[in-house]
Amino acid sequence: MISSTKVRRHALLTACGSLLLASSVSLPVIDASGQTADAPVHGGTLRLATLGLDTSDPHRHTGSIGVQQVYAESLTSIAPDGSTTPWLAESYEVSDDGLTYTFRLRDGVTFHNGDTLTAGDVLANFERVRENVEGGWLASAMGFTESFEAPDDRTFVVRLSEPYAPFLNLISELWILSPASPGWDETITQPIGTGPFLFGEWIPNISLVAPAFEGYWDGDLPYLDALEFNLTELSDPSLALRSGDLHIAPVSGDQLPIIAEAEDIDIQRLKDTSWYFWSFNNRSPRPPLDNVRVREAITYALDKQAYMAFIAGDQGIVTNQMVIPGNYYFDEALHEADQHAGADLDLARQILAEEGVDPSEVTLEVVSWQSPYAEVAVQMVRELGFDVEHAALEDLGAQQRLSQYDWDLAPMGSGPRADVFLRYVRMMSDGPNPVLWGGVQDEAYDQTVAAAVAETNPALRRQHYLDAWEMVMDNYWTVVAGHAPTVFGVRDEVEGFEFGFTYGPHYAGGGVAHAWLAP
Amino acid sequence: MVTLLATVLIHIARAALLVFGVTVLVFILVRAIPGDAVDVLAIEGGLTDSQAEAMRAGLGLTASWLDQFTAWCLSALRGELGESLRFHVPVADLLLQAIPVTLALGAASLATGFVLAVAIALIATLRPRSIVASLVDILNIWSIAIPTFCAGLVAILVFSLWLGWLPVLGNFLVPVIILGLDAAGQIVKPLHEEMKELGTAVYIRTARAKGLHPLKIVIGHILPAAAPVLLAMTGLVAASFIGGALTMEVLFGLPGVGSLAFNAVNGRDYPLIQAVVLFLAVAVILINALTDLAQRLVDPRPER
Repeated sequence: MISSTKVRRHALLTACGSLLLASSVSLPVIDASGQTADAPVHGGTLRLATLGLDTSDPHRHTGSIGVQQVYAESLTSIAPDGSTTPWLAESYEVSDDGLTYTFRLRDGVTFHNGDTLTAGDVLANFERVRENVEGGWLASAMGFTESFEAPDDRTFVVRLSEPYAPFLNLISELWILSPASPGWDETITQPIGTGPFLFGEWIPNISLVAPAFEGYWDGDLPYLDALEFNLTELSDPSLALRSGDLHIAPVSGDQLPIIAEAEDIDIQRLKDTSWYFWSFNNRSPRPPLDNVRVREAITYALDKQAYMAFIAGDQGIVTNQMVIPGNYYFDEALHEADQHAGADLDLARQILAEEGVDPSEVTLEVVSWQSPYAEVAVQMVRELGFDVEHAALEDLGAQQRLSQYDWDLAPMGSGPRADVFLRYVRMMSDGPNPVLWGGVQDEAYDQTVAAAVAETNPALRRQHYLDAWEMVMDNYWTVVAGHAPTVFGVRDEVEGFEFGFTYGPHYAGGGVAHAWLAP
Repeated sequence: MVTLLATVLIHIARAALLVFGVTVLVFILVRAIPGDAVDVLAIEGGLTDSQAEAMRAGLGLTASWLDQFTAWCLSALRGELGESLRFHVPVADLLLQAIPVTLALGAASLATGFVLAVAIALIATLRPRSIVASLVDILNIWSIAIPTFCAGLVAILVFSLWLGWLPVLGNFLVPVIILGLDAAGQIVKPLHEEMKELGTAVYIRTARAKGLHPLKIVIGHILPAAAPVLLAMTGLVAASFIGGALTMEVLFGLPGVGSLAFNAVNGRDYPLIQAVVLFLAVAVILINALTDLAQRLVDPRPER
């Protein structure tokens, strides 16, 4: 397990490593022969597999964002520490009331067709998303926008109807494209962005070949000639990584020990983590789980250390919160006070007895994906004497079954997100895809999260979020077991590349634009 | 002539009915399994219930099954296979990208299997006590007992990871060899048995008695007589390769029809599933028709 101290140390080392890397990029070392050592080399094709690409229209994505960033950029970017940084905007200001956002656009940015980026183009993109996009995070964010203005070519102003704290983070996924992109009025078929690589040739579910954009605005980036994304659903991407067919590929937990021992492959992690939790059926809880004390007792069966060790080995982080130590929204006191940090079966049985529940007479319906860790959860619950009917279903089967709310417990997990709100929103009454969290519908929780979202003071906003999280914990709607990193293997010949906060392989100051292939 | 025309018309009508039946069955089955394309998007991202419903309506998924089926049939009859629900690109484009890969993989594997099976059966008939004769059973057991997926994994471990000779992704040679061995195993046993049986026929004994060279007997008399069995088995294997190379495609990242169908089902991409199944049904019917035709050419007795 990684303690919070170790995480901080790791973060510090990572930051130091990044600084060293950055200095090596900007200040190449010259050896005695006058040759540069470790200087970026131009050329080559980087072959990688991250997430899929469902659409050629970057405005219509509903998730799975791991490709678009290379050909389309946005006004803001998520930094490796999760904060928001300017990107196509060189700066931005937020009014004190949190209602007006003024973006100053970077000078000299051109689209892939040679047109210069203007505030009018940005406005057209925001309007297109607001008017045409029906689903996804952006559609929800655009609901708060009142007006867009472009007073001059480099100034773009957004006015909101009410303060909306996640706005800057969420528009990091609002890709700015040329309105001349083919299909602009319907579905964009050939996005013309400003990224370091062109959209190139896309074969759905097979590949995307993205050649370098020679007119990229950031210095002499990119170093590579092209990127080649493998979009196929490979049975085991690590095989292609080990054979050298891919330079960068995801590594599953069971393959991690093998990849970790490979001399020519480095392990990298996304800076944000996936969180793992047990959700109870909150939409229509069935006896005896409609009793919060019974849910508490079952939670005492959860051995977080063992559970996270099973999921992530020594990379697992045990906590009771939806973010990890070091995150702004993490609360150390809550973490230290976790009464479920370890399993306590005796106490669980005592609580069940006090509530008059004989576990041998109760059959719990557990629904999960076909993930091995779900079976561990089932065994832990069985330790209390419950009979368990476990439905381990494929993704859509689980989704359908969970949406019927005829179950009791769901051991689940969820991946990195651009803003903490995107985790809290899952437990709101009208939240997106709430089934993994048991379909919570609670007015007080909704109001508390809404207050956090509307709060312009970061400290107060954090407190609102923590208040909401305490509601989650007190009601045992969802119990967090811990976090695990999303792991990728990166072959040694890849230099200058580091993953950021989420899956995006290109972000302000890092990613594939800064990568090169060692000769 | 009239009889032949009637036979052809009956065959075409039967084929059309079969294609229609398969289409109806698949239409119902894919909608009976849980989830649709919007659910797939919802899992990946964040659709609220109202957003999901709006998207479902926009994609035409809220219409009755009968309306959806009628609309699809009318489009298909016009030669339009629709647009992928997931990728928003024409289904025909996706299919046309995948078909050449599958045809190349299938044809190369079948040719490998055919040549190997015929060669081994010939040698085994010529030299029944040679080591080659034992290959008949070894190949046959191989094709029954070794799943192509396992053979593929072992090949990746040995040739790609340990020896570093071949790539994993886009590797065409290894899948062709594995599928070829599988095909050879299926063809060689019945072919060899038939050739052994024919070797005891009176006219073969006469040929031997006349001093004809054994190779000439096998190639000139036994093999042609065994052609119906060879054709029947080859036709069966060919039909199975049209959609059955899925494991090889997935393992080696080959973008063929099998992996297209696999991904379409995973993504609940109904128009794509329908189109793939339509292609598979027509392809299998065509292969069977060609096999029938070839059978009639080499052995016209059933017509008499």
